[in-house]
Amino acid sequence: MLLTFLCLLTYGNSFSQGYQVNFQGQKQQGMGLAGTAVFMDGSSLFFNPGSVAFSNENSINIAVTPISGNTLFIDSTTGQGYRSNSPIGTPFSAYGLFQLKDHAKLKLGIAAYTPFGSTVSYEDNWIGRFALTKLQLKAIFIQPTFSYRIADVIGIGGGLVISTGDVVLEKDIPVQFSDGDFASASLSGSALGFGYNLGIHYDLTKKLSVGLNFRSKIEMNVDDGNAIFDVPESLDPNFPDGTFSGALPLPQVLTFGVCYKANDQLTFVLDVNRVGWKAYDTLAFDYALNTSSLEDTKSPRMYESTFAFRGGGSYDFNNGLSFRAGGGFGFSPVQNGYITPETPDNDRWYGTAGIGYVFGDHFSIDATFYYTQMTRTGHNTETGLSGTFETKAIAGGLGLIYKW
Amino acid sequence: MNSRLYIFGFLLVICISCKPKFEGSEYSPGETNPERFLMLGGTFASGYTDDALFRYGQEHSIASYIHKSINDVSPTTFNQPLVEEGSVGISTNGLSRLILGYKTDCLNETSLSPVRETAMGDANILNNIYGGAPFNNMSIPGLRTGNVFDEDYSNQNPYFARMSSSPTSSVNDDFSTLNPTLFSVFLGLDDFMPFIKSGARNDSLPDPTLFENNYRQMLDNLTSSGAKGVISTIPDISSAPYFTTVGWNDLVLDSANNATLNSIYNPLEFYFNVGNNPFMIEDPSANAFGVRPIEDGELILLSVPLDSVKCYKMGTIFPFRNEFILTNPELQEIRTHLGIINDIIRSLAFEYNLALVDAEQFFSNIDSGFPFNGINMGTGFISGGAYGLDGIRFNARTNALLTNEFIKSINQKYNASYPMINATNLDSAFFP
Repeated sequence: MLLTFLCLLTYGNSFSQGYQVNFQGQKQQGMGLAGTAVFMDGSSLFFNPGSVAFSNENSINIAVTPISGNTLFIDSTTGQGYRSNSPIGTPFSAYGLFQLKDHAKLKLGIAAYTPFGSTVSYEDNWIGRFALTKLQLKAIFIQPTFSYRIADVIGIGGGLVISTGDVVLEKDIPVQFSDGDFASASLSGSALGFGYNLGIHYDLTKKLSVGLNFRSKIEMNVDDGNAIFDVPESLDPNFPDGTFSGALPLPQVLTFGVCYKANDQLTFVLDVNRVGWKAYDTLAFDYALNTSSLEDTKSPRMYESTFAFRGGGSYDFNNGLSFRAGGGFGFSPVQNGYITPETPDNDRWYGTAGIGYVFGDHFSIDATFYYTQMTRTGHNTETGLSGTFETKAIAGGLGLIYKW
Repeated sequence: MNSRLYIFGFLLVICISCKPKFEGSEYSPGETNPERFLMLGGTFASGYTDDALFRYGQEHSIASYIHKSINDVSPTTFNQPLVEEGSVGISTNGLSRLILGYKTDCLNETSLSPVRETAMGDANILNNIYGGAPFNNMSIPGLRTGNVFDEDYSNQNPYFARMSSSPTSSVNDDFSTLNPTLFSVFLGLDDFMPFIKSGARNDSLPDPTLFENNYRQMLDNLTSSGAKGVISTIPDISSAPYFTTVGWNDLVLDSANNATLNSIYNPLEFYFNVGNNPFMIEDPSANAFGVRPIEDGELILLSVPLDSVKCYKMGTIFPFRNEFILTNPELQEIRTHLGIINDIIRSLAFEYNLALVDAEQFFSNIDSGFPFNGINMGTGFISGGAYGLDGIRFNARTNALLTNEFIKSINQKYNASYPMINATNLDSAFFP
């Protein structure tokens, strides 16, 4: 079942900060994408392995959050508008959480989720075609995890992260066939990386808890990518198909969270993220076969590390129904002069809402809604592309949990 | 699985309404009246490119693009002296246009190169096509400022003869019939071109007083009925690929050739090394032998017979003749003169209260190179993406970019908002 689920999904979205995707748990998504200082369900394996020590269940948790984003680019010179036609992205998560006996101090878990990715494509012949026509970036993290309650009020946990990723980048090349069509390039490759996810959870009082989570940077190295060029025959020697290597950093994320349980029904959560985007300073492609037309490229990205503030609350009715709401603000890692069509990013507010229902002892279901919009005006010093990106994104998530 | 389909469907419905709205821009002619638009210019504005006048070039000329912008705001007629569709065109030397093809050189190496589409140009397109209505594009290949009032001009220039209203009408006569309400002038480069293209050997530089008088009278006529307009300074064309493709020190010597040249030239105290060296040129003022190495900054024209350079020791044992070279003193003279003429144009723009395009700046930006929506624009021959296959005239893309300078200038001067042309998707060179 899990495998079918994974295989069916195309993936990604480009509407989180940078190429980060923050849809890893439906309950947290309902509360503004926060929940580092509280055990929610199997998704805490991602948010804070330390919190998992406070669980008392075996569970399987799967969720998917289809997201649809639309970007409009308005060229600053001509005033003409061009739209993205990106497919719906489907970030997913799957968690298995186990304990050997009831109230055991040690919990074990396995997590699979998609914390980074981006799928964005633009309409044919758009004005930025020589910068980008399509980007598809997917990273799936697999994380075996342990969690241990070292004291009544303190839990720690850690997981090894194995990251597999694929990237496809396509753009047009400003040379023309005899019929006037432009040439194009397609770069694709896959990568494997390793990292870790560490967390600690501390119950300060019965009502107040704090959590700290650190997810390490993972360098995704594409060593044997395919570079394919569709160029006029006379230029074949200039653009030889071949291999390339490149790297993309998936930045570290440090999160501090607070949870306040006002009473049995009402819970508030707050998370602050620090994302190490500074790691992404250059996007480099090193082609195995260089020619005078095909030189290695180093495109400056110059991302800056950023903060994000997320918060929300949940109200649990006695009949198994929960309502959740939240929101947040994230700063963009993209500086002016380095805005690209891959990540037409800006500081943004977002809002979320969620609903949950528990069916008897074993099943529960959670659904969420997410909305954000942003406008970014600026230019790119490397390509000269200059204008305004307007983006609206909407996502609806659905998660199922079976526990025993 | 069904539930997932529902969610996708649900999101699709919502997302029809979650697309960012695109309002588009509001256009306005401002204080201009675009009813009868006139473009007056020389080779560049006529659509002459790839070393010929042909239909495609005319349809992608600066004149056509300015009209396209105007037409988006206020639909107006634009009568161009178009040549026949599909014609191979005709150059000033009677040849066809250049296209990219393969050429085998004296070393038997075949490479991609501009070649003539057919052996001869299409002289039929020089037949007079005046149909009673004045043309809106009165740009004529080779037209100099001094020719504008010349009633004998159609006997001197077949490109004017093909469009003139009568064998004795001047360019001024013909554009006056149009009675333009809005005009754009890109004139003056052809006053310099014959001198520059001949390595400063033929022709001469324009006389500033005469130039000013002619230009002034032309503006008097154009503005007599209150027409608004834009005029342009004259660019320094010496950065075009025609003048820069063969570099001054592109002479690469192996040890054998190095020894030969040293044995010939050491007595004159010229020394060569293995590797890059300056070419040798004729210069009567250099020494008793009238020969010297070319200096940094001096230009070798693309009119040099490249096979003679590659196989027959031209530029080395047989120095380049002066007609293939612009020396530093010649360039100095041209640039100083250009400065004087451009000062005249600037002061006339001020005096007649007209919009002004700084074409010098535009050409100089291309010379330094700049990224344009992911295209690296520069002066590289063909690879630079800016110039046509003749290495002097622009391709469609760069014509549109220069057009935008004219539109920008009109918009600023007359509180207008004519739209800029999207040059990104326009053509550069077609590769086989």
